[in-house]
Amino acid sequence: MNTSRWKALRTAAALLVLGTAGCTDPTVAPKSTVTGANFFDDPASYQTFLAKIYAGLALSGQAGPAGQPDISGIDEGFSQYLRLYWETEELPTDEAVIAWNDIGLPEMNTQTWTASSAMVVAMYYRIFFQVGMANEFLRQTTDDKLTARGVGSQLRAQIQQYRAEARFLRALSYWHGIDLFGSIPLVTENDAIGATAPKQSTRVDIFNYVVSELNAIKGQLPAPGAATYGRATGPAADMLLAELYLNDSVYTGTANWAGALTAAQAVIGSTYMLDPNYQHLFMADNNTSPEIIFAITQDGVHTQTYGGVTFLVHASVGGSMNARNYGIDGGWYGLRLKPEAYAFFGSGDGRASSFYTSGQSVVVDTIASFSRGIAAPKFTNRTSLGDSGSNRVFVDTDFPVFRLGEAYLIYAEAQLRGGGGSRAQALTYVNLLRERAYGSTSGDITDAELTLPFILAERGRELLWEAHRRTDLIRYGLFTGGAYLWAWKGEDPHGTNSAGIATASTRDLYPLPANELIANPNLTQNPGY
Amino acid sequence: MKRLRYVSGALLALLWMAPLGAQQRTGTIRGRVSDDATRQPLSGAAVSVGSRGALTQADGRYVITGVPAGTDSVRARMIGYAPAAQAVTVVGGDTVVVDLALAARAVRLSEVVVVGYGEQRAGNITGAVTQVSSKDFNTGTIVSPQLLIENKVAGVQVVDNNEPGGGLSIRVRGQASVNAGSEPLYVVDGVPLGTGSGGGISTGRERDPLNFLNPGDIESITVLKDASAAAIYGANASNGVVLITTKSGLGRPRVEYSGSVSAASVTRLPSMLNAAQFRDAVHTYFPKNDSLLLNANTNWFDLVDRTAMGQRHDVVLSGAGTTNGYRLSLGYSNQDGILQGTTAERISLGVSYNQRLYNDHLDLRANLKGSRTFDRFTPNGVLYNAAQMGPTQPVYDSTSATGYANWAAGNPLTSADNPLEILNLATDHGTTYRSVGNVQAKYDFSSFQPLRGLTGTVNLGYDVTDVNRVTFYPNNIHFETKNGTDGSFYRTTPSQVNTVLETYLDYRPPLDLGPGTFDLTGGYSYSRSHAEWSSISAVQLESNLLADNGIPQTGIPPVPVDTVTESKLISFFGRAEYNIGDRYLASFSIRRDGSSRFGPGNLWGNFPAVSVGWRISREPFMSGASAISDLKLRASWGKTGNQAFGDYLQFSTYQGCNAKAQVQFGSQFVCPFRPSAVDPNIRWESTGTWDVGLDYGVLSGRFSGAIDWYTKHTDNLIFTVPVAAGSNLSNYVTTNIGTMKNTGFELDLSARLLDGGPGGLSWTAGFNAAHNTNELLSINPNAVAASQILVGDVAGGVGTKIQVLEPGQPINSFFVCQQQYQNGKPVEGKYVSLADTIASACDAASLRAYHDPAPHWMLGFSSSMAYRHFDLSFTLRAWLGNYVYNNIASNLGDYQELTRSAPYNLSTSVLQTGFVQPHYLSDYYVESGSFLRMDNVTVGYTFPWEGRQVRLFASAQSVFTITGYSGVDPTAGLNGIDNNIYPRSRILTSGLNVQF
Repeated sequence: MNTSRWKALRTAAALLVLGTAGCTDPTVAPKSTVTGANFFDDPASYQTFLAKIYAGLALSGQAGPAGQPDISGIDEGFSQYLRLYWETEELPTDEAVIAWNDIGLPEMNTQTWTASSAMVVAMYYRIFFQVGMANEFLRQTTDDKLTARGVGSQLRAQIQQYRAEARFLRALSYWHGIDLFGSIPLVTENDAIGATAPKQSTRVDIFNYVVSELNAIKGQLPAPGAATYGRATGPAADMLLAELYLNDSVYTGTANWAGALTAAQAVIGSTYMLDPNYQHLFMADNNTSPEIIFAITQDGVHTQTYGGVTFLVHASVGGSMNARNYGIDGGWYGLRLKPEAYAFFGSGDGRASSFYTSGQSVVVDTIASFSRGIAAPKFTNRTSLGDSGSNRVFVDTDFPVFRLGEAYLIYAEAQLRGGGGSRAQALTYVNLLRERAYGSTSGDITDAELTLPFILAERGRELLWEAHRRTDLIRYGLFTGGAYLWAWKGEDPHGTNSAGIATASTRDLYPLPANELIANPNLTQNPGY
Repeated sequence: MKRLRYVSGALLALLWMAPLGAQQRTGTIRGRVSDDATRQPLSGAAVSVGSRGALTQADGRYVITGVPAGTDSVRARMIGYAPAAQAVTVVGGDTVVVDLALAARAVRLSEVVVVGYGEQRAGNITGAVTQVSSKDFNTGTIVSPQLLIENKVAGVQVVDNNEPGGGLSIRVRGQASVNAGSEPLYVVDGVPLGTGSGGGISTGRERDPLNFLNPGDIESITVLKDASAAAIYGANASNGVVLITTKSGLGRPRVEYSGSVSAASVTRLPSMLNAAQFRDAVHTYFPKNDSLLLNANTNWFDLVDRTAMGQRHDVVLSGAGTTNGYRLSLGYSNQDGILQGTTAERISLGVSYNQRLYNDHLDLRANLKGSRTFDRFTPNGVLYNAAQMGPTQPVYDSTSATGYANWAAGNPLTSADNPLEILNLATDHGTTYRSVGNVQAKYDFSSFQPLRGLTGTVNLGYDVTDVNRVTFYPNNIHFETKNGTDGSFYRTTPSQVNTVLETYLDYRPPLDLGPGTFDLTGGYSYSRSHAEWSSISAVQLESNLLADNGIPQTGIPPVPVDTVTESKLISFFGRAEYNIGDRYLASFSIRRDGSSRFGPGNLWGNFPAVSVGWRISREPFMSGASAISDLKLRASWGKTGNQAFGDYLQFSTYQGCNAKAQVQFGSQFVCPFRPSAVDPNIRWESTGTWDVGLDYGVLSGRFSGAIDWYTKHTDNLIFTVPVAAGSNLSNYVTTNIGTMKNTGFELDLSARLLDGGPGGLSWTAGFNAAHNTNELLSINPNAVAASQILVGDVAGGVGTKIQVLEPGQPINSFFVCQQQYQNGKPVEGKYVSLADTIASACDAASLRAYHDPAPHWMLGFSSSMAYRHFDLSFTLRAWLGNYVYNNIASNLGDYQELTRSAPYNLSTSVLQTGFVQPHYLSDYYVESGSFLRMDNVTVGYTFPWEGRQVRLFASAQSVFTITGYSGVDPTAGLNGIDNNIYPRSRILTSGLNVQF
């Protein structure tokens, strides 16, 4: 036998067999997709990921105005965070009514939602989408991970600030979560993705968690200024604390008016100023307003969504209104005032100057008809100089989540409720707002007129349609029950009876989504649902 | 890793020691093998003694050298014959003569059947395995290999799309997945192809990736149906495994030519209104459009179909020496489709070489198959516009930019296009190069005494595909101008390279262990796939001058796409078989698969299977029952997987934004990146299968066959479902959650009805029947509202879906409302609700699951007769219980279509219904698709001519179809939606085969 041939064969066989032995690892890293494995190779990724958490408030998905939605199971335009939050805070109150018959929407006007109502369900998932994004950002930016990726000190300092912003945004959504739904799960960066259905926490525990988070990050957030417009700043954290303490008695059963007053005072003491022009706060160039502490930004070119302020501006226009006067291509014939809200405003109050009454009735005897109810195009896509926004479909107008005017009102309310401070100061703050509204001191109130009911009414006027009303009415004990009835409260939204009836106090909380109770067996439904 | 090193070390050591054994005293056996009836020599029969073997030459003679001294038996086998054996005693240095006569038999139980990593005698197989060899293949004009066994294997549904070489689907024992693939795994000469239809990529779904294989090169196709047979292929085996063995060289050197020509014509077209009916309808229902109608009388379908010609030529050179065999084949096939513009052309080359070395201890085999296929497609838009375009409108208009007529007035966006304009001015074609090949070395260690019975095999394979498809629509045709697309160009050039390495050892201990014998197999497999997906699309072409050769200036920039996907599958497998006197049989196999598609926590999956068999006919108590020649009861259980889903599902992908979805950071806009929700533990869908079967043969195998009952339970089906809020990065995630069940039984019967011997009349027939029941058990146990998922997009109404995934119903059940009838006529807009009241809307109160597209019964009958020089064969096929949604009738079945600014032509169904409004979701359009079809009739004449064997044949395919279905074709694709499907062809073929 030819030995050299055998050698060749043996060599070939050995090579084959050894080739085999090297390969017992079946993993393959993706090459042309961006995944967690390579995303952070680009230092810019930290900013773009943080941007997503902000985008979660402003947009509905990754392709503006629609496409690649963040959450599934609902029309993308309906699923936008701000639009949903606005609907849950305004439609069931005495302030607003929407004409459309889209699934899940009519019952929002009348507090007759169910655990399957589309807007309720989507709001819940939106909140946890924000929480999920923030948690993942925090998981991906721990010191260990940054060290492992060799992140330099300058970027690392930047990332610390980003982390504080992510925590602020998570706190904001948790506030919305406990305010709307009560006891929900508390999921943090310490929980792994996809592992198990989270346990239900309590409203109190989440309240305490959010407060401690805000106190921890307050100092790390960026300073206010043009360069940080649209981002969370120190005063934004104080403002969120003020909102939490103001409603502490609702959330935990124990009031903390002093906390609210102190936090409001901190905001007032920072760099913000009242905008001399009230209307400017809701215009296409409101990014230049000195009053806005935290805004959800919109832009006709770069930040397009069918939700957000685009929804507010378009839905507020209809009837005989000329859409061009509001910088848009056409109205959507949706939002009007309930008659009670229209009655908030006395003559001479400039805050009502945007209202449109021609062809509109004060009474809202039919929800589905735009002409029933006064139109309130408070948000507009025109600038303070009278120009239209950059795009007639998608508005440039940002949504003021927190603004100095509200800090004044929180100070006043907390003072009246025994949170310390000075009553004279409270009166001054209120009258500053009144003077701006009336253009003179003619609308000023006296010390005797400064009462808690006045504050609630003044909040209705000053903060109309700014997504505070439901929370305010609950704090005053008027949202549910029969003490205060308004049009359509508790009625059948498809019916003809608009008188308003008492509603169960359990409607102070929205139900947890019916699907969610099945997907997460740890959850207990809110009472009454 | 450690264990693997050990295994490889052992293999190396064995290879090293092997030659030492070849030193003992040996003898030689020679002889002749003949047909026991005709006494003619049989060439190419395999003769073996112990582990040594040879093939007979043209004169039937063989020589086996190096036979170890001692007593053994000489075995001879050949496909189509019962194996024979004779005892022999070899004395060292002597030559013994052994002549053997083989009996021709159709009895499958005696055949050698290819199984995963080896072959087995059919009689000893304990799983549900059906092998179809080339002599039983379908004949006529066949482009795609899978069609060779259409109708031949019980429980195997083959659905083609009616185009020559068209994309096709196979379902083995029903559909077992929803969102992952449901196609079987294809293994060509031991090389597993990738997952997905045809195991590769193609020019588009209109063509079958397996077209690279010339059907003339295929020796046999084996379908592993139950889990015990398939589980050795682990995570790719849930949909069944199709093993394709190609031909190799046998016998004396010879050249063979076979060729054929064919002509195909349309069987049935959609039934539309003619010009007079259309004019009447417009005048009655929307006279405003009267003025648009011109005076032509155009039958648009007549203008786009044709009698399609085809030709096929195969030249094969093959032969075998004492230690080698070779086969070289060259094929050319060109088939036009019955719609103008469709052609499938293939040039294929096949090389097979085997060489035995070192006293036949080393068996080297190399197979290489490669082809270039060139496909032309009838451009998209021709078919549906032929249905929609008004028959009163002329074809040509000398005043228009293209010379073709189109609707003059109205909103052009919703008006039909002239199908001839698209057909003649647009182009759509693709070229595919694909080659699959392997080199296999098999070493028999038996010459080394301690290792007798051990063989080692190394198989290296590759699969390379390169595709280039171009579509061009000029900027001045109505199809493009009406919606502002203004010309489009699309080129896609995907390519894929798969490599496979498999090594395994087979050990048959020479001594009995206990009362029986063992056969042990163990091995390792590594396969890797790398694919590149490049394409570019452009619209708003400024010029048509470049046609399909390039992109001119465009209104908006062309959009390129370029991605790379890769996958890996690493496996260890083993099988143990135990055989007590060919009476009691048991088999256990296991495969352990590690896949790049599985999440980190589930990187490896185990797929075990066990089966047992009892050959009752071998029991002493059966010796009296001479009528029963074979009887075997078998039972099996196994677990298989399905990983035919996308790569990288276990990774959270970070998706960027478009220019309109940025957020403001101060004065700057930032593009947000979003991580996707992910199930990091994503893994295979898992199917557990029970199978109980009976193989039988009576009257010396004159009647034989098998009966099987099975139930398959699939869990961990992949669905995208809602998840607990906060537990993931969005509210829906793709995860393993659903379950499904398929239950059925199969019957196979082969009969030699007449056996006239040479010159007499012989007649064989085969019958198979299969029944399958599919039920989706759950989609998401954690949700109520998500328990119905609508699927099945249809034409008519944006987003209209006609089928449902609903627990308790068969997959893809139609989801429709029950039409109300009066005097036998459907009532406009009236339905019977679920509460049995009359409803005026088709909504949730009336929608229900109603029948499904899968046949509940599939029946096949094949007959083959021979008398003297003549042969005649035919096949019949029937499906029962399958339903089809007639989408042409529903979409163009109402007079409202006439109120468009340019009216659509209507289906003649409107003459029966009188519908004014569309009734897309009415069960009126869900029709029974049960049918009986004569798939094939072939007549042949074989005669000697100057010492050569010549065969002339003529065949007809799709001879007739008996069905109550009113649409184009009841086999309308797998999903049962007949929406402008390619019409079926009736093909007449004649050809000859000569051996030199």
